[in-house]
Amino acid sequence: MSAYHPHQPPGSPGNPNRRAIDAVDAPSAGGSPPFLPALVGGVAGVIVLLATTLTVRATVSGAADRLKHPQATAAAAESKVAVADQSEEKYCTPGFKTVLQRVLNACGLVGGESRRGCQPADVKTFASINDEDFNALFTPLKDRGAVIMFDDGSDALDPGAKKLLEERWMDRKGARYFFIVARASRTGSADFNRTLSHKRANSVHFFLQEQFKDPDLEKQVGMLWLGNEFAQLTKEYCDWPASRSSAKCNADALNRSAFVSWVDCRL
Amino acid sequence: MRNARFLAGLALAASLLGLLFASYSTYDYAQHLDRQIHTIHCSFIPGASGDTTAENPCKVALFSSYSAIFRASYWGGVPISLFAVGAFSFFLGFSVYLLMSGLRAPKRAYLFFGITGVTPLMASLIMFFISLTRLHAFCKVCVGIYFSSALLATAAVMALVHYRRIAHVHLPPDPHGPTQVDSAAGNPLLLVGWLAALGLAAILPSLVYVAALPDYRPYLSSCGKLEVPQEQHNALLKLPTAHPVKAVTFFEDPLCPTCRAFHERLIDEGVLENLDVTLVMFPLDSECNWMLDRSLHPGACILSKAVLCGGNQARAILEWSYSEQDSLRELGKGNPAAIEKMIRERFGSDVMQCAQDKKTATRLNQHLHYASNNHIPVSTPQMFLGDKRICDEDTDLGLKYTLSQLSPEVLR
Repeated sequence: MSAYHPHQPPGSPGNPNRRAIDAVDAPSAGGSPPFLPALVGGVAGVIVLLATTLTVRATVSGAADRLKHPQATAAAAESKVAVADQSEEKYCTPGFKTVLQRVLNACGLVGGESRRGCQPADVKTFASINDEDFNALFTPLKDRGAVIMFDDGSDALDPGAKKLLEERWMDRKGARYFFIVARASRTGSADFNRTLSHKRANSVHFFLQEQFKDPDLEKQVGMLWLGNEFAQLTKEYCDWPASRSSAKCNADALNRSAFVSWVDCRL
Repeated sequence: MRNARFLAGLALAASLLGLLFASYSTYDYAQHLDRQIHTIHCSFIPGASGDTTAENPCKVALFSSYSAIFRASYWGGVPISLFAVGAFSFFLGFSVYLLMSGLRAPKRAYLFFGITGVTPLMASLIMFFISLTRLHAFCKVCVGIYFSSALLATAAVMALVHYRRIAHVHLPPDPHGPTQVDSAAGNPLLLVGWLAALGLAAILPSLVYVAALPDYRPYLSSCGKLEVPQEQHNALLKLPTAHPVKAVTFFEDPLCPTCRAFHERLIDEGVLENLDVTLVMFPLDSECNWMLDRSLHPGACILSKAVLCGGNQARAILEWSYSEQDSLRELGKGNPAAIEKMIRERFGSDVMQCAQDKKTATRLNQHLHYASNNHIPVSTPQMFLGDKRICDEDTDLGLKYTLSQLSPEVLR
């Protein structure tokens, strides 16, 4: 242990504690009482600590208040978040939706009815519109739909028909319902054509069932068979996507068909 | 004498600066206790700017698993910045004491400060490496705390040097001080007292914070449920985990930054491996998602299809999408074909071939229909515990607390 020499100036020659003393000034003679720095330092620390702690408490309490009474802005922001839903395209007019809803109700898609599909009499009843207006409902579906064509008197799907059906079915996007509207040309009796159009609708339906084995199919597919009694297609439909694009397009060929399309409407 | 004054002044400045940064960090954290979105300070100038963008590194830090402790016990946990607030408050008072004492300060005061003054830097170094290796982002407020801690540690090292220089020097006894002990060295009990004061100061803000927290339990089950839990086509994806004990359903988008953060949080919290994960791909990309009129994450559709085609690699593809997300997002905006090339190079042409198959597009569409059948919000990520929807705010700050309340088995 070295001794401190108070009467020798620090760092003076001969002082054995020179290096140590260089680093230490002599305590000031006068000045504040020795407890004052501790008191001031302690008080400063306590004041700062309490101030920050109380601020923390106030911030947490404020958050708790906002939690109990959410601000209107938060509620508004919450309501702006879109909710996932099926598509709703522009063609879903009130008139279209009315017919769609009636198809769903009357043709066995909803309500747990045992039958599948609607025949001309049903369609006439629930559509409550003339042939032209009924077809006009489907005009906006040109890009979405397709005309599946059949041979005269036949309900068999050819390879082109199957290919187009597959494409259209897989191009579902956000649609919920798939329509099959089968027809027959005016050749033959009304009864025969009604039955034939029913078979054509079923052919399409069965093909989709077999090909895709979709458990929801029964809830998605709406079938209508119109025979030759209601809403025959006119030549304007010749430029619609069809399974036989090279086929000669006339009214008879057009109506030996099943029009198919996904429908992008919410009900 | 000047050395002692300088180090005390430096310690005072460092403590003040650290206290400011830590206070802002704590304030930002506590604001979020109302389960809403708030701006977050992110500047080297304390309190200078708020920012709500997802890219804000301070937001990344705040919502990370490392920003708080005791998350399973309290909603949001106890932010670590609170301990910094307490510690810097103590050091502020102590540096005032050293500044005013000058040479009257007992030698042990310098020893004590020299040892304890480096502890904030130690904590900062740990957080720095977490930011570097886990978060890949440096929050400016955090950097402010690191810098303050470094300044304080510098002062502490100077105090230790100063202590070594005066350790063997005997000053005259203090006439006002006790006679039984060496007043220049200071009563050894002072060390215990200061240490106790430091400990108390460090935990006091946290104790007050915890005491003020509201009860969050009523809010945990308030966000609805899956209306149609079953997916008829068996199209959803099972994500392999080590020991699944609880069924969950995630709606995720490979290019969504929040999904990436959520996935990393699940891993960091040690939760993911305990979950029986059903994954619903929900890309926010209008190329396949008909619910959107514009793409939020272009390129997410093809990546989602790749995940669906991954088979045993599905999780690897998803995690690769997250790890490469920044570059994939850039490619998605300008060069989507490059994403396909990356997938092909990384996971083989079979995966890419499958991703381009119509059947995969149909399967992805079935995922989207599952979302629409359940009327979930068009946002990602979303988590369903069983069929119960976990609120968005409970998937970040409140994740561990929510799981501890609703499904404690996944935290074991």
